[in-house]
Amino acid sequence: MLYLLSVIALMALLAPLLTRLLGQRAAWLLMLAPLCAFIWFITQMHLVAEGGTVMQSVEWIPALGINLSLRLDGLSLLFALLISGIGTLIVLYAGSYLHGHPHLGRFYAYLLIFMLSMLGLVLADDLVAMFVFWELTSVASFLLISFQHEKGVSRRAALQSLLITGGGGLALLAGLILLGGATGYWQFSQLSAEQIEGHVLLPAIMLLVILGCFTKSAQIPFHLWLPNAMNAPTPVSAYLHSATMVKAGIYLLARLNPVLGGSIGWGTLLITFGAATAVLGAFLAFRQTDLKRLLAYTTVTVLGQLTMLIGTNTSYALQAFVLYLVAHSLYKGALFMAVGAVDHATGTRELSRLGGLIRFMPLTGAAVALAAFSNAGLPPFFGFIAKEFKYTGLMEMGTIGWAVTLVMILINALLFAAAGLVFVRTFLGKQGDYPLTPHEVSMPMWLGPMLLALGGFMLGAWNAWPETWLVNTAVQAIARGPVDVHLYLWGGITPALLASLLTVSLGVFFYLWRDRVRHALDRANAVWNISGDLIWDRLLKRIFYFAGLLAARFQHGSLRQHLVLLALAVGGLLAVGLLPALPQLLQGSYSPISLLGLVGCLLAVAGGVAAAFLPGRLTLLAALGACGLGLALVFIAVNAPDVAMTQLMVETLSLIFLALVFRKIPTMPPSGARRPWKRYLHAGVAILFGLSVTGALLLVVSQPLPGHIAQWYMANSLPGGHGSNVVNVILVDFRAFDTLGEILVVALSALAATNLLGSGQRIGGEGRGEDAFTSPLLRQGLRPLAWLMLGASLLLLWRGHNLPGGGFIGGLVAACGLILLALTYGHGQIRRVLPVGPAQLIGIGLGCSVLAGVLGLLSNQAFLTGLWVFPGGLPLGTPLLFDVGVFLTVFGSAVHMIDKLTGVRH
Amino acid sequence: MEWLAAITTGTLAGLGLWMLLDRNLKRVVLGIAVLGNAINLGVFTAGRFIGERAAFVDATNNAATANPLPQALVLTAIVIGFSLFIFALALLKRTRELHGDKTTDSVSSITEQPAPDWHAGEHEADCTGVEARR
Repeated sequence: MLYLLSVIALMALLAPLLTRLLGQRAAWLLMLAPLCAFIWFITQMHLVAEGGTVMQSVEWIPALGINLSLRLDGLSLLFALLISGIGTLIVLYAGSYLHGHPHLGRFYAYLLIFMLSMLGLVLADDLVAMFVFWELTSVASFLLISFQHEKGVSRRAALQSLLITGGGGLALLAGLILLGGATGYWQFSQLSAEQIEGHVLLPAIMLLVILGCFTKSAQIPFHLWLPNAMNAPTPVSAYLHSATMVKAGIYLLARLNPVLGGSIGWGTLLITFGAATAVLGAFLAFRQTDLKRLLAYTTVTVLGQLTMLIGTNTSYALQAFVLYLVAHSLYKGALFMAVGAVDHATGTRELSRLGGLIRFMPLTGAAVALAAFSNAGLPPFFGFIAKEFKYTGLMEMGTIGWAVTLVMILINALLFAAAGLVFVRTFLGKQGDYPLTPHEVSMPMWLGPMLLALGGFMLGAWNAWPETWLVNTAVQAIARGPVDVHLYLWGGITPALLASLLTVSLGVFFYLWRDRVRHALDRANAVWNISGDLIWDRLLKRIFYFAGLLAARFQHGSLRQHLVLLALAVGGLLAVGLLPALPQLLQGSYSPISLLGLVGCLLAVAGGVAAAFLPGRLTLLAALGACGLGLALVFIAVNAPDVAMTQLMVETLSLIFLALVFRKIPTMPPSGARRPWKRYLHAGVAILFGLSVTGALLLVVSQPLPGHIAQWYMANSLPGGHGSNVVNVILVDFRAFDTLGEILVVALSALAATNLLGSGQRIGGEGRGEDAFTSPLLRQGLRPLAWLMLGASLLLLWRGHNLPGGGFIGGLVAACGLILLALTYGHGQIRRVLPVGPAQLIGIGLGCSVLAGVLGLLSNQAFLTGLWVFPGGLPLGTPLLFDVGVFLTVFGSAVHMIDKLTGVRH
Repeated sequence: MEWLAAITTGTLAGLGLWMLLDRNLKRVVLGIAVLGNAINLGVFTAGRFIGERAAFVDATNNAATANPLPQALVLTAIVIGFSLFIFALALLKRTRELHGDKTTDSVSSITEQPAPDWHAGEHEADCTGVEARR
């Protein structure tokens, strides 16, 4: 079974390609997949008929105990045969129906995905796996309904069906999880009624499952998506929306009937809603003039009757359920395909324009005749047996049953008349007024309806065969106890037979008086408007409105409000968490304060305060510089020379960039929001945030440092990394992969910033130095200084492994030097000093770093493993190459940005 | 020393947030730098100020060294913070060139489009209304 599913999945993937290569003929190839499945299921019939089951299981999410387990029993076999059998014919049919359509391949892919998920649904034994397939059918249905997506109606119908079935799917998921949780079993085959009897969750489970099934099987009030789904191409209507998918809900109801069917609520709900759906569907069907919509509403009716039959739970009713299910799938599939053929041949589906088609389309007509007889429930067709059993089953229930029977007689009479409309009105009588000249359709298009209709006839005429092979085991699978199955055409003069006679006479009456009946129905226009789509649209609009109202509170697009909320949450949570730990903060052992550190901290805070509150551009530049400088002093005070140097260089570069950008921007107003309350709010939030950060940090440092990472690095730096500067060894050796990622970020943000900085500018020419650097004395003095910095940067790079320095610091120093040159003499200097462009420099740098890593790989070690050679006792290794890469990337990034920023305006 | 650094970090963080909340985009960009400084100092402080000398291996000196790991982390963080700051600066420059001076909250409204479904839904409702009446 798993193989079959995989083959269908493979075919779905190949379908677009095959269709492109073979065109319409691909249908014959694609058809093989469902055909194989059909034949395989046929071969399993004898096994299942003897009461056996076929099991297959693969682990899917073993941690959660979810398996992809498949189980073939009577009920699944029945469905699987319908799905694969009708599927084969549909694939063939679709090739002709949609021939020449540019997206035929896509259509096949969707169709086969649907087939796969539907087969999975009926075969799955695992609750979760079943649900996944269930949702997949909804998605496939969505795609197929919206296949003609250029039409607004199709899109709306697709969305409507997805929202309704998807929403029901959520309810079903909840129901299944409750069911699995309550019983402790997650396989259908292990569930039984005793496990759940009297459980407190039983009503909830039942309601949720029923809700899911009702949406899928279009029970009132969820029926409205089904007629709209007829906007899909006819093969889809025939396959998904009459024969298979809409029966998924019915399938699940039947599958769970032995488990949940014991309570009064189950039967009451199913019978009430089923009967109401059936009545509504029948009346609505009779109002339609479009053949396809007419058939769609009769499908609604039948789905309602099937639901009702499960609810009754009598032995005859369950047999009738199985019989009716098969009969309906056969005749409705055939009728839909035939209507599609009629539409294809005549160009219309309007009843008033059709008539006398049998002269032009004898084969299609014959198929429709056979199917319509089965639909009308005439002997010896399968539909007749189904109807007889249905009446018998309902009458078994007693008084209520009799009442329901009377309603059903009325409904079936309407269905009878509808069948008459489909066959007699369309194919007999005088010739209609067709937009196209009709012709008999090609073989793939009449073969499907013909085979299905013949099937309906033969199953009825030779009813001993389905009795043993199909119906018996299926009925046993859904019944709560053993049921004696015996099919017959003639059971003597029974109440059911009389009911049938009544149905037929009423049906003939309705057909002959159809115009008056329709007229009468039209009078109650107000009723149809209520049950129509209008409510749906209003509901949807309300939901959107409500969602918009709700979302506007949070998605207001105001960065500041988002930030306030975020900071409040972080600060508030931290503060709440910190309050109980307050006494602890005072007991921590802290290192003594150094003067340098104190000065640094004061400078940083002073700079920060100035940057936050003062107006004026120059003031701000100075303030930011002071803030960074203070930080550098702190770093020096706590024995971090590398970090201090980096901070110093970065601060210098930042200020240069800031000055270059800010000089073109008008001066800045004082800070703070305009309205006082907002200002106070922001100040409050900022203070809360600052206090919480301080508190959290104090709490952290009051604890002793856990672990021995620092000691490990200190001990291994020289023996493992051949370097005394542990910080640098960590960067280029121990944690080089991190560093690789970091320089990549630097390079990417530099490239991104360059595009923004340089827009509207042209690079080229010599350019001119900044006006501030025009003093000859300054110019002459700066040149050697710049070259000194470039030289020093190389020295810093080289010695970085053992002394303060390294690629990052070296790169920043070099960038400072070159930027000084560019500012003094114009940006043409950059090209003059560098042999390649700055962007290429970034690439070369990244390349060096990656190469250093790959060399490790080449020597069969992990990526970025350090390799060393010792020419003359001097340790040289790939970490040095890596550091060169870091140097070049950082250098290139900074220079690239300044290159664009100082470029000439176009 | 740690508590001093912690207080400095908190002060800078609060100031940075205050600047990010400013309606003037220029100060927001400066706020990114200040907040970045706060975060760097915070990460560094969390590594404790242990040891009496820098993190160098020295056979002749047995005094305890500083913790090298936060130093390495903060070193790269400073450089990345720098490139982020320049990127923010570039965004500021470009925004000004394209749209002139903007307050923080009006930036998103320049580019924001209403959800396309909103109007599509109304249009489709009209189509179905016709169909339902028919």
